[in-house]
Amino acid sequence: MDLSIFIQLIVLGLVRGSMYALMGVGLSLIFGIMEIVNFAHGELFMIGCYIMYFMAAMLGLPFPLGILASGVGLLIVGVILEKGLISPLRKKAGREWLMDSFVLTIGLMVIFQNLALIIFGSVQRGIPYLVAGQSTFGDVVFIYDHLVILSLAFLTVGLLWYFIKYTSLGKAIRATSQHSEAAQTLGIDVSRMYAVAFGIGAALAGISGALLITLFPANPNAGMGPVLKSFVVVILGGLGNIKGAIAAGILVGLLEAFAVFYLAGGWQNVIVFSVVIAVLVFKPAGLFAPAGERP
Amino acid sequence: MTLEIEHVTSGYIKEVPILMDVNIVANQGSLTGIIGPNGAGKSTLLKTIYGYLRPSQGDIFHDGKSIRGLKPDQMLGQGIAHLIQGHSVFPAMTVEENLELGGWIIKHDRKTLDRALDEVYQHYPLLKSKRRMVAGALSGGEQRTLEIARLTMTHPRTILIDEPSVGLMPKLVDTVYEEIVKLKELGYTILIVDQKVHKCLDVVDYIYVLRLGQNSHHGPKEDFVNTIEDVIKEWI
Repeated sequence: MDLSIFIQLIVLGLVRGSMYALMGVGLSLIFGIMEIVNFAHGELFMIGCYIMYFMAAMLGLPFPLGILASGVGLLIVGVILEKGLISPLRKKAGREWLMDSFVLTIGLMVIFQNLALIIFGSVQRGIPYLVAGQSTFGDVVFIYDHLVILSLAFLTVGLLWYFIKYTSLGKAIRATSQHSEAAQTLGIDVSRMYAVAFGIGAALAGISGALLITLFPANPNAGMGPVLKSFVVVILGGLGNIKGAIAAGILVGLLEAFAVFYLAGGWQNVIVFSVVIAVLVFKPAGLFAPAGERP
Repeated sequence: MTLEIEHVTSGYIKEVPILMDVNIVANQGSLTGIIGPNGAGKSTLLKTIYGYLRPSQGDIFHDGKSIRGLKPDQMLGQGIAHLIQGHSVFPAMTVEENLELGGWIIKHDRKTLDRALDEVYQHYPLLKSKRRMVAGALSGGEQRTLEIARLTMTHPRTILIDEPSVGLMPKLVDTVYEEIVKLKELGYTILIVDQKVHKCLDVVDYIYVLRLGQNSHHGPKEDFVNTIEDVIKEWI
């Protein structure tokens, strides 16, 4: 194989993969702690796209501000959704919670898409580039945008990893997802942890949408593709498994890049979903689940 | 007197009280046991004390202060810890992380937290040697030890224990009761709810018998040593 093509495909795969990882980690975090399969995750991505467009294209602000605004904006949206809708419903639902959360998040998905359609119309609102230009090393072309997306995505995942692993709030979130009743007896305000976790998951989706605006222009359905892929990531990585979601996200990105190049556009979905089916059959707890863990 | 339950009526639905006018006192530094047949309201009592349920009548005092209406996550701050039924370690976190979370309410006071951690390691050298292991990899008995040690991180005054032997291998049951007696010797006030009447009677100082959600008998352990079989017969 030609080395330059190989490197090019790795970069392309990592760019897409880092987005899938960001989306998947958020979805996984939310599921792990609250047992919600958030079907509206793609719409949080979509809101992130619009915030980025508003900040960068309409106000003409530098793009890092747009990314920051998307992250903070979606954090707030996430906390409001959790406190205003999810939490009250969870208290009423009891054992029926999983089904109720399906209906709630699918409903949110429809509402957000149609609100966006009414407010912004169906026009695609994109930004041509975050940082213009490219460099060539030998036969390999590095588009600056790709490098920016890649490094910011890795920075975000790294910060999240540090937060979850080492800060006391992060530890309390993990404790709540592993045994919420015990966490509560130790003085941890569990409902606050739910709000924080949902907010962070939403913020990750928002950052993802903002970062990828050059590839996925803002439009009411912008989140439909990414959310499907993030479900793939979460299945491959194991529901609730953060490390698994990061690894699976990158794996899916790379698989797609190589499938498109060596087979044809369209084949990437065939390959990826075949892998998903194989994983569901042979290793249903996910590729990266600790030995013996069940789904 | 550390924990006083005064004329408490409580239940899951307002119209259907499970506990009716229950009175219980757990004395400072002693081990008080609550026994009773299934459905006597033992678990409901613990849930009411710890704030999962709010009593519709009556009041609960800890150190003379009413704790009625406080939420479960506020109880440790009042000096009341709760060992819940079944396993309650955070299985994917290390032993040390589990213990640190035991000190969640004092997390801003790193010095006190570190000192508490040292004390726990002195008392339970086993936990020190396994502090980097994930808690889920410990044996059932070791997990119980970790759960008990985790409760002592903030030096609460009172510890509520719900069915300490549920889910344990029979071999380990005695060890757990020994740990509980050790806690008492350290000066903790302990209220224990138990199905294993004879085990419970071995370790406690004072017994309350609940029946159909009401006080039935109570008295120091000595009063029950000879009559316990008769009390149990009444339940059947």
